[in-house]
Amino acid sequence: MSVRLKLLLALTAALLLAALLAPLLAPHAPDAGATAQRLLPPGSAGHPLGTDGQGRDLLSRLLWGARPSLLAGIVPVAAAALLGTAIGLLAPLSRRWVETAALRSVDVLYAFPGVLLAIAIAAALGAGLWTTVVALSIALTPPVVRVVQTEVLRFRDADFLAVARASGASWWAVALRQALPLVLPALVVYCTTLVGIAIVYAAGLSFLGLGVSPPTAEWGSMLDELRGNAYTDPVLALLPATTILLVSILFNALGDALRDQLDVKERSVR
Amino acid sequence: MFGRTYVRESQTAAFARFAAKRCALAVPVLIGVATVVFATVALIPGDPVTSMLGPGATPEAVAELTGRLGLDRPLPLRWWEWLSATAQGDLGSSIAQRRPVGEIVMTAFGNTLVLAAAAGLLVLAGGVALGTLTAVGRGRASGRLSSALSIVAISAPQYSVALLLVVLLGVQAGLFPTGGMYDAIGGGGLGDRIHHLALPALAAALVPMGVTARVYAAALTDVLNADFVESMRARGLSEAAVIRHAVRNALPSLLTIGGLQIAYLLEGVVFVETIFAWPGIGQTLFQAIQARDLPVIEAGVLVTAVAFVGLTIAVDALHWLLDPRTRR
Repeated sequence: MSVRLKLLLALTAALLLAALLAPLLAPHAPDAGATAQRLLPPGSAGHPLGTDGQGRDLLSRLLWGARPSLLAGIVPVAAAALLGTAIGLLAPLSRRWVETAALRSVDVLYAFPGVLLAIAIAAALGAGLWTTVVALSIALTPPVVRVVQTEVLRFRDADFLAVARASGASWWAVALRQALPLVLPALVVYCTTLVGIAIVYAAGLSFLGLGVSPPTAEWGSMLDELRGNAYTDPVLALLPATTILLVSILFNALGDALRDQLDVKERSVR
Repeated sequence: MFGRTYVRESQTAAFARFAAKRCALAVPVLIGVATVVFATVALIPGDPVTSMLGPGATPEAVAELTGRLGLDRPLPLRWWEWLSATAQGDLGSSIAQRRPVGEIVMTAFGNTLVLAAAAGLLVLAGGVALGTLTAVGRGRASGRLSSALSIVAISAPQYSVALLLVVLLGVQAGLFPTGGMYDAIGGGGLGDRIHHLALPALAAALVPMGVTARVYAAALTDVLNADFVESMRARGLSEAAVIRHAVRNALPSLLTIGGLQIAYLLEGVVFVETIFAWPGIGQTLFQAIQARDLPVIEAGVLVTAVAFVGLTIAVDALHWLLDPRTRR
């Protein structure tokens, strides 16, 4: 394992731990505000990262906000990975008409730029964290199908699958024992990058008013709230923006390091 | 001479056949897209009318809107009517603005295309430059730096970048306007337009630029490892000349990926337009979301998805024209 990969894995673990331990780590309650302490600059006594327009401690809000933000980034990717693998793996190994029907429906979803499909679904379902999770799970499934399908097509007609079938292996055994392990490296690499994308999308939905709504601390809605202070307190306004940027870079870099580790060829699906 | 004319004519005919086939293939996809958009409206849990009008609505207003939206009729009928109306360009009318949705969305979409075109130029220029630096500098510090830069670009959320640019170059340095398409007073000239375009275009371009750079770098690395490059070096060509040849040889790979990335620009503009107050489809969507103006949201999504499908067809057509290997 490369030093780079170890370092990135440690950083990711630290991030997840910080989110998990937010109640212990945060110096203040995330939604306790004091109007006398509005918009304090970073470095103020008791508020290392300053306060927002309602006097709420920004460090505490960023820590607490990591929970819905990471949740909305990780859960949809897990759901999309399961659903996308099921379709992408089983369709090419099934009868012709099943494959055609499954892949044509995915084509339709693929015709939407990802975030717009999520916007349409979230707008219809109404704002909320679980709306974001559902909307992103649907929006992220088509690209996962593409990744898995591309991998499967490379060995679908290979001899070892024919041998497995001829030796009496059931259809399920062929799919799960023979095909799945070959797909897994590309899937792991892609899904790691996808977590970064999903976190950006989820915060984006909140920013648009379709995700977690105020006063709950969440990175995207914090960005929207502090956006109005960009002219007077630019440093504060940039805090959530930079946090989302750094976390997104972390997952993309992790995906890249995993790609080198697992020796997966670069293919752009996004 | 005759032979040449013959070849050219048959090529035109072949292209027409390809284009017709490709467009025909897009029809079921477009019907599917419209159906998904219809389904998101039709399958809303709860009562869309009350959620649009708010809990304080009078029974008369509820009945009026239910009738106007046709919600009292069977689902398949509503689907068919919606589909045929949409195919004829009738997208209904906005609840918040009481104007035809088609009018609102089309004006906004024109402004978005201006922004997307500017960003597209940045994507191609920046992607090729960054990708070339990565491939040529592979194994050295310059290559690692440009590779890291493309990862940062890919990861950069459009709204974060937009806000960073507004704060650093707009507010702090005062170099660029922080919103709008042109100055309210004495604006509207070409220079003024470009001045207003610069920051939003950069914010929208960054992600696709990073993806393009990575894919181009991979293609260029393959070319640089090819035999003909070795033989050029053996013949004593300067390194600059070798790279020039290789760069040109790797350019077709840009078509598939670069073309798609330009289509994906349409995705980022939602956020960029909201932050820069650019009166395009993204800002329209944002305002419609705030006002819970569902017809406008759905039409905005639909128009963008249709444009997306159109762009992929255009990319395929360009690919067909430029790369004979695809004509099978």
